Amino acid sequence: MTDTLWLLLAIAAPVVTGLLTLPMPRSAMTARVVLALLGPASACGIIAGVVAQGPAPAEAVPTDVVGWVPSLYMNFSFMLDGLGTFFALLVAGIGCLIVLYARGYFGPDPDSLYRFYPTLGFFTTAMLGLVMSDYTLTTVLFWEMTSISSFLLIGWDRYDKEAVRLAMQAFFTTGLGGLGLLGGVLLLGATIDHWTWSETVLHFQYHPEQLTDPAVVGAFLLMLFGAFTKSAQVPFHYWLPGAMAAPTPVSAYLHSATMVKAGVYLIGRLMPALGSVAAVAGHAGDGGEGHSGLAGVDWWPLLIIPFGAVTMTGGAIIAINQHDLKKIFAYTTVSQLGLLMTAYGLGGLIYESHGHAMANLDLDITQIANHAFYKAPLFIIAGALGHVLSRNITELHGAFFKRPAMCITLILAGFALAGLPGSISFQAKELFLYAIVHSYQTIGTFWLILMAAAITTAACNVAIFVRLTTTVLGLPGSLGSAETATAEPDHHHAADPDEDIDESPDPHGLDHDDEEHHHEHYHDKPGSPWGWLIWLPGLIIVLPQFIGGLFPSLWMQVLGPLETNTNYFLGEHGHYDKLPSVLYAITHPGIPLMCSGIAIALGLVLGFSKAFRGVFNDPANGIYPAMYSAAVDGGRMAFQLVQTGNLRHYLVMVLMALLVGFSSAVWLDPAMLNSVAEAASKAGESWTGAVLGLIVCALAMAMPLAKERIVRVLLLGGTGMGVVSLFLVYQAPDLALTQLMVEIISVLLFVLVLRMLPRRDLRVSPHFSWRLLLAIAAGVSMGWLTLVTAGSDPTHLFHDMKLGEFFARNTYDGHELTDGRGGGGDNIVNVILVDFRGFDTFGEICVLALAALGVFTLLPGRKPKTV
Amino acid sequence: MTSRILTTAAQLIVPLALLFAAYLTIRGHNAPGGGFIGGLAFSVALILYRMSAGPKAFRRMLPVHPRVLLFAGLAIALLTGVAPLLFDLPFLTSYVRYVDIPLNEPIHFASAVFFDAGVLLVVVGAVVGMIVRLSEELEP
Repeated sequence: MTDTLWLLLAIAAPVVTGLLTLPMPRSAMTARVVLALLGPASACGIIAGVVAQGPAPAEAVPTDVVGWVPSLYMNFSFMLDGLGTFFALLVAGIGCLIVLYARGYFGPDPDSLYRFYPTLGFFTTAMLGLVMSDYTLTTVLFWEMTSISSFLLIGWDRYDKEAVRLAMQAFFTTGLGGLGLLGGVLLLGATIDHWTWSETVLHFQYHPEQLTDPAVVGAFLLMLFGAFTKSAQVPFHYWLPGAMAAPTPVSAYLHSATMVKAGVYLIGRLMPALGSVAAVAGHAGDGGEGHSGLAGVDWWPLLIIPFGAVTMTGGAIIAINQHDLKKIFAYTTVSQLGLLMTAYGLGGLIYESHGHAMANLDLDITQIANHAFYKAPLFIIAGALGHVLSRNITELHGAFFKRPAMCITLILAGFALAGLPGSISFQAKELFLYAIVHSYQTIGTFWLILMAAAITTAACNVAIFVRLTTTVLGLPGSLGSAETATAEPDHHHAADPDEDIDESPDPHGLDHDDEEHHHEHYHDKPGSPWGWLIWLPGLIIVLPQFIGGLFPSLWMQVLGPLETNTNYFLGEHGHYDKLPSVLYAITHPGIPLMCSGIAIALGLVLGFSKAFRGVFNDPANGIYPAMYSAAVDGGRMAFQLVQTGNLRHYLVMVLMALLVGFSSAVWLDPAMLNSVAEAASKAGESWTGAVLGLIVCALAMAMPLAKERIVRVLLLGGTGMGVVSLFLVYQAPDLALTQLMVEIISVLLFVLVLRMLPRRDLRVSPHFSWRLLLAIAAGVSMGWLTLVTAGSDPTHLFHDMKLGEFFARNTYDGHELTDGRGGGGDNIVNVILVDFRGFDTFGEICVLALAALGVFTLLPGRKPKTV
Repeated sequence: MTSRILTTAAQLIVPLALLFAAYLTIRGHNAPGGGFIGGLAFSVALILYRMSAGPKAFRRMLPVHPRVLLFAGLAIALLTGVAPLLFDLPFLTSYVRYVDIPLNEPIHFASAVFFDAGVLLVVVGAVVGMIVRLSEELEP
């Protein structure tokens, strides 16, 4: 088996094992968990095996192509470079722990796990495909699959209308971004004619001048829109806190390592192609910093940094003004995603040191890993505490003494959230601050604004840590300490004004806890090892934070080979040699360390102060409802405008559309005028035809003047017969026969229908109306169109042969056709119908069948069994 | 609205009309005719039979709902179109050859005749179905 097939197996494994759990008996809990665990675990193993056998991630090449839809450039080929490998292992690895956590969270409830594991497996599969695919369109496909599966997961509680609404909000927002991504990928692929990420990177290395191509810039903007919606950047971030309606295992998975990181992953993928292109010497033709050999789309830093910085700061500020644990962590996730985006945005800038120019981005994998390793535990513990105590931080006063294991994990993860020395988070924050300082070279004093934003963010994170710790330890000055001391637990709602705000109906429904308040939930027996699963996965995930923080060399041994961007810390030009350890950072103070210190001090003050303790409702929560109602209202207005229920209006619209189309066609090709002149010059050739034509016209015009319906029907039949004789005069027996049959059947139909219609005087006084003009114009253009079609060769495919002549010559033997194959028949009309235009005929009989089915449906009949 | 003259004439005309419709369809590839005309003629014959012999007799003659004809016709046309794909030819490619039959000239055979048969069935299903449904509305 080739690597590609192995990796396809790895991608399919989670959903397959998830589906295999469905037919299992509901009582077989342990077997169910083991089987569901097998999927992500085997995916993890296969990916690790493939990576271990292949070349080092830095020299990775895409695996062999397995064709799927080659004509649409959608094939399977996987890119296991540092970024891809890291994400794949992260998704599969945390996926395993989430399977276990779900068992702890849902308890021994067979129904929840029965539905949960297949859906989770579907999501894991989508995510694995997304981060490994090398074909751009295949990536888009998996991207959309994550949107669909996350919709299912967020709207898990299908009886909770609010949860379903929030799931739809997430789906529409990320789905809209998915459309942007699709457009961007198509535009980029069509412009440079490469449909894999790896070839795209190579292409721009050899053609950096194309980075200024408007199509490339447009494609970049579209893809950026996709990344921003998926990774919850302001103003599209509202779906992420809304997605907290999901059960906590989903939140822990989607918002730490997977779904929201997809946008970050995309930006990381695009980075070497559009953000910071290592142009190959001799081809760098775009001037500017030509000597640097680095180029990129100008909009890269200009757009990503501001959006990222605003998201980072805004998310952090909203986060400290929340009481619900899941909401706090949701907004810190938004903030952290903003930080990651800013880091990649800064990577589009050039940093020069010791005569070397390099991208201003270092160890981005460490940044991403850092977030996953503390955010997943935070969510896991939020769910665990919500399960046994409460998710509202004001009700968790002294929780440490009730649930020590959970609270220790919470404090450890919170420590990392705050980025305090000892966790890898500290180093990650230092890296980010270094990048900001280095950006001074390019953006001048704007770096101070960025630094202020970073300090604010860090201070908020420290404050959150301080509040969490003091509250669960029950220290004075913490949230919720005043009322628990004075009031009974059952009555403290009335005692605390803050609490009233919380309990008031929340317009966005984020405050009501998971399913536990809606229906009974299950608990494992105390002391059972299954019960541990509700917090143990969190502890496991948070451990690398401290191993890495205390032993950065160990961290780099594992993650170092995966790092794609190694510039000033690890690169060949680097002057630091390695990831700085805590000791090194403290003994070599610089601006970054100073800023960290300021942030920690500010955070401590903020954490203990009474300021910013209320609940602040995110104004962006109104965006989706506003868009939704605008779409519904707009749709209703459009419906009322178009669907009047009046046949005459419909006809007017159809004819108008025809006229507009026809006149624009004539506008583009004035040669169409000639065909009319040509036909007019031949009009006198056959007097029989001309007289018959006049009769037909006269009968048609007499129709509106007739009083009775039956007279009108007869006049219509008369025009039909006139047309039949015209066909005969011009020797078209087929058409004449058909027309005759149609006339007979029309009369039959009319006879049947007329009896159902009300008797009414239909006569209209002949007066001038704009409808008359429209009718005449539509008729003229229809006739004109027929002349053009029959009288010319608009596509010039057949040596300017007229259509009639062409068919006459090719009906039997196809001399003029490329494959030399004719219709093999003598009857031109029939050969056109079944051979040349057979596909059209097929479409037409489908339409006919649909129309008949419509009649059957609209006239259901009194006796259902009769014909 | 049954009249003795109509009933008697229909007994003679209907079989002939049905035969003529089949003839029109089969010869369509090389002479005036084809599935569409054939289908219309077929429908007219069927409706004539219904008018003369009455709904009950008609139901005995055509015991299935006309929509079955629609689906059958679409399926035949689609299969004719798909069949060439098995021989690596484009969708709807027609196959033409002369078939030797005893005691006569070879017959010009084109696989398009199956497509025409599908068209015929769809047309009959649509037209007969609509008219029968409308007349049911009027009958007591």
